[in-house]
Amino acid sequence: MSQSMVYYVTTILVYLGVDILACWSFNLQYGVAGILNFAFIMFQAVGAYTAAVLTLGPSSGNGGFQHYILGWTLPFPIPILVAGVVAAALAYVVGLIALRRLRADYQAMVMLVISVIATLVVTNELGLFNGPAGLALIPEPLSSLVSSGGYPWLYVGVTAAICVIVYLFVHRVTSSPLGRTLRATRDNQDAAQALGKDVVKLRLFIFVFSNAIAGISGALLVEFIGAWSPGSWLYVETFVILTAVIVGGTGNNAGVIMGALLVPIAFNEATRFIPPFGRPGLVDAMQWVVIGILAPIFLWFWPRGIIPERRRRFKVPAILLVGSDQSPTRPEMTTAEAKGEVD
Amino acid sequence: MSLNEVPNVPVQSFLEVRDLRRDFGGVWAVDGASFEAQSGCITALIGPNGAGKSTVVDLIGGALRPTSGQVLMDGRDITALKPHERARLGLVRTYQMSSEFGRLTVLENLLVGVPDQRGERFRTLVIGKRYWREQEEAVLVKAFGLMDRFAMSEKRDEYAGNLSGGQKRLLEIMRSLMAEPKLLLLDEPMAGINPTLARVIEGYLSDLAKEGLTMLLIEHELDVVDRLCESVVFMAQGKVIATGKMEELLKNTGVLNAYLAG
Repeated sequence: MSQSMVYYVTTILVYLGVDILACWSFNLQYGVAGILNFAFIMFQAVGAYTAAVLTLGPSSGNGGFQHYILGWTLPFPIPILVAGVVAAALAYVVGLIALRRLRADYQAMVMLVISVIATLVVTNELGLFNGPAGLALIPEPLSSLVSSGGYPWLYVGVTAAICVIVYLFVHRVTSSPLGRTLRATRDNQDAAQALGKDVVKLRLFIFVFSNAIAGISGALLVEFIGAWSPGSWLYVETFVILTAVIVGGTGNNAGVIMGALLVPIAFNEATRFIPPFGRPGLVDAMQWVVIGILAPIFLWFWPRGIIPERRRRFKVPAILLVGSDQSPTRPEMTTAEAKGEVD
Repeated sequence: MSLNEVPNVPVQSFLEVRDLRRDFGGVWAVDGASFEAQSGCITALIGPNGAGKSTVVDLIGGALRPTSGQVLMDGRDITALKPHERARLGLVRTYQMSSEFGRLTVLENLLVGVPDQRGERFRTLVIGKRYWREQEEAVLVKAFGLMDRFAMSEKRDEYAGNLSGGQKRLLEIMRSLMAEPKLLLLDEPMAGINPTLARVIEGYLSDLAKEGLTMLLIEHELDVVDRLCESVVFMAQGKVIATGKMEELLKNTGVLNAYLAG
């Protein structure tokens, strides 16, 4: 494989890993808990900036052309872990504002406003993260361990390992009574509360936990591409992740992997090969339009996505089978099963 | 019984509502309601549309905060508690509109019904399945038992959103029972469902009362109230007009006039 092809393939794989993490995070909020977090990209960006300023070293370095806070040089994986913690802390503050008293539609509005404000603050406060120019020359972690040719593959391995670790935690949530209760609050918040569920606490927890994953995904990306600026995390980027989750299948961890593969990766890459036509930049602009249209199309025709939320089945408890002729096999086929609506 | 008087039977009273008031922008939806529900009985809350019955249930359940007044359960003032805190004390309610968890199966709806499960705690993230497996098994046994009792076993893997209106009502009652309530608030549990299933639900409620469950029931069908309820609270225009047995209330011209005018 040529060097340029290695670079292309490994970049795609790292982006896929980052997008899968982002989609799991968004899915926990939207698909499982019913929180429409339009500020999602902000948490990914916070993770990216945190990892960057914990890796870059003093801002006087590299000729002092960048101005930013902290400027530490912490070894891998500390910047990535701290990025998750900082994103979680920010999520806690935002969650206290948005999730406690507001109805779901107002929550979404508040999140969107917070995301826009965050972009404006970072763009205009030049000493924070170098303003609109953003941060560059972020050192590659672990680059001393392998040759420059092998480094991209090493980073693909690191990304894959982080995806596996995060998946184990995500799966623990979605397969436990905690995940079930979160899905219940998504379907009917008042009824869940009337059954003794502390809905605010549960939603705040999943908001903090999943945005920590968003922060980690941002950190993982910035350590690979070596640069980050406000143009990387405009609020519309959240809609790419939202569309990926809707297309893949809300509430299904495997489904959102499919969504991450199809929307931010395959779709974006496929459009690279369209020959330019019309005004310069028209193809790029059309990408956003098509992504914007994709979500409502799926919500209209395939609301459950390509791989729908899994129907949870439980075996008859063993204690009920003792001394009875009841079989642990499934009961007679339901109408939905007969229609093939189950997965 | 006289208007707005609290009967002096504190020993048997499980729910006590004292001078409850709630206004919405200057309109008093509940205007000084006081009544009691006796332990182990079904107490009916009846009255014309707009009488304030559902608002009273919202105030007792904690979905709404009263402008003034008190709600006592088993002698404890629960007025300041949030809905989930009241539920954990054993006060569980159903809604006027079906409130199933539509994208959860029937069985999952029941499993959610048990408050404060180990598997809902955050440490499940660290410890994993071994932290909650044992309790989950016990909850499953209970849920299967309930499905068997209420003849819903065949529907256990069906999405609750796909059930008929009557089955959803039944599921709500079953889900409430998973929480082992001490007081069950039922807001028109038989509204809009076919008479056959309504009779089935009525039978179940009667059985639950015989088992000692205290219930407060909003119901428009007076025949059902007559058959099920030992005491009746009649409300109109946010006030308790009368309390007593159904047969007594039917002789009360104030009640009849309010119903006909309502």
